[in-house]
Formats: sequence, C-alpha cells, structure tokens
Amino acid sequence: MKETSLAFDHRPDPVLGAALREALAGANHSSFVARVTAALAVPPRELHWDVLASWARRGIAAACVAAVGIGLLMAAVPLSAPMDLIASVSGPTAGEIVATVGPPEPGVALAPVGER
Amino acid sequence: MPWSGAARGSRAIANPQPAIDAARIAAETDAELVVRAQAGDRTAFGVLVDRYAAVVRRVARAVLADPDDADDAAQDAFLSALVKLRQYDPGRPFGPWLTRIAVNAATDRRRRRTVRRAEPLESYLPAGGTSPDAETDRRALGLRLRQALAELPERRRMAVVLFDVEGFTHAEVGRILGIPEGTARSEVFHARRALRVLLSDFKEREKE
Repeated sequence: MKETSLAFDHRPDPVLGAALREALAGANHSSFVARVTAALAVPPRELHWDVLASWARRGIAAACVAAVGIGLLMAAVPLSAPMDLIASVSGPTAGEIVATVGPPEPGVALAPVGER
Repeated sequence: MPWSGAARGSRAIANPQPAIDAARIAAETDAELVVRAQAGDRTAFGVLVDRYAAVVRRVARAVLADPDDADDAAQDAFLSALVKLRQYDPGRPFGPWLTRIAVNAATDRRRRRTVRRAEPLESYLPAGGTSPDAETDRRALGLRLRQALAELPERRRMAVVLFDVEGFTHAEVGRILGIPEGTARSEVFHARRALRVLLSDFKEREKE
C-alpha cells in the first residue's frame, strides 16, 4: 500500500530519478557537444528525412489524384458493360418472345442461349 | 542566411575577446540565447547544445537501446531544432520544446531501425552474484534499469523519465508526449510501480 501511495506522488522520486539518470547518462559529454557543434558548422539545410517527407507528401497527393481518376473510370465502365452483355445474350429474341400474344414454342423458350 | 560564414566572420572581427564573450553568453538565460540564435548567433545555439545535451541524450537513450543510436538521435534532435528555431516562440520555455523534438527524433530513428544491438548482460553482472565491487553493481543496476525500461511501453517509459529524471510536471509531460495530463499521470504511476520493484529487489540484494 505504501508503494501505491508513493507511485501516485505528484513530486519526482529522487531515488528512482537518480538511478535512472545514471542508467541513461551518455558518456563523454564534451565530445558529444563538439560533434554536434561541428555538425552545426555545416550550413543548415533540410534534414534528409524532411526532404523524403516532402516527397512523400507529393507522392500521396499524386496517388490520391490517380485513385480518384481510376475510381471515376471504374464508376463509368460497369454501367455500360452489363447492358452490353445482356443485349448480346438475350437480344431481340427475348423481346420477340415477350411481345408475342400466344405462348412461345417450348423449343424456342428453352433453347440454350448459345444456339440462338 | 542567418548562419552564413560572413556573419560569423564579421562577429569574430568585431570581438577581439571571444573567450570573455563566450563566458558572457554562457551566463545568459535560455530565452536570451534563443533570441540570439534566432538572429543567427551560432555560439548562442552552441551554448544551448551544451546546456541541454545531457537531457536530450537521456531522452534518446530512453527510447533507443543502443547508445550510438541514441547519440545519433540526439544529434538529429539538435539539428532539427536549429532548422525549426524560427517556429519557436521565445515566450515559452525552451526545455519542453526541445525535449519534444528529441522524443520525436528518437522515435523516428527507432522506427527506422529494424534490428537493435543488445548489450551483453553477462559482462556487467558480478560473477556469482557475490562481488562487492561497487562499480560492477552500479553498472549492473544501470543495465537492469535499462532493460526494465525497455520492457515498458514506450509512452510509459518516456513519461517516467521525463517526470522523475528530467523534472517536468505532469502537464509538461503530457504536452511533450502529446497526451492528456491525466494519461501522463497514469503512465508515470504504472512505470514507477514496475521500476520500484526492480530497484527495491536490487537494494535488498545489495544489503545481503
């Protein structure tokens, strides 16, 4: 219980903090600072990941445009294709069958599509 | 071109006592240094690097297991901060702003790394567990803490480091990690509970 109340403590834990501080400390502070300072001597430019990120943004925009275009094409094509298919399969023969006053001949109505 | 060589050259000629100048700059507050850095003073930014290098390296190390990766991420963070310095509002504290950049730099590098080198546990552990060597024990504790941290979810790990090591408030931890203050508080609580068990076990073993 004591541990639970301490865990909810709103103040930093000095013991845990000190142990973690030591565990995470990097060696050779001055050489690291010298390394970063040397890197700063190079004129600032966008980091390569920033450049890649900007390319990625353009790439995503282009992909979205392409996806919309393909979507529009896909939306237009399926409307006409099934009608063509229906027309090629049933054709005027089906219309004639429906339009006739009397019942169709069984041989005509039940004939396979490929034979018409 | 705020960081142009011409600007540096003219400053060097105008100031015959760079050592005194550097000492004076080092005594300035973060806000003063940032304003100078935004105006193109690279020395001022160098002072900020020196001032915050330890914090940024620790934050990076909390995310990345490998110390070299962590230092690379810390360097990325400073370079990124320099690039973004114009976006920084000097009216706000510099530490949390830079720490957030450091967290992002370390997280980005961790995502890019598919394989991380593991530290050999055996080389740090005292032989037979009975060695009185304080240095060995200290290193072993450090290694165990890093391993325990590595087992925590990344956000939880960052929360406890930012709160207990770096001394940020729960609200600041929340802002740095992009989470609500209550969530930051909860993450610190759970991380502490896990780490304190490890720490108390280690101290008990040390007493034996």
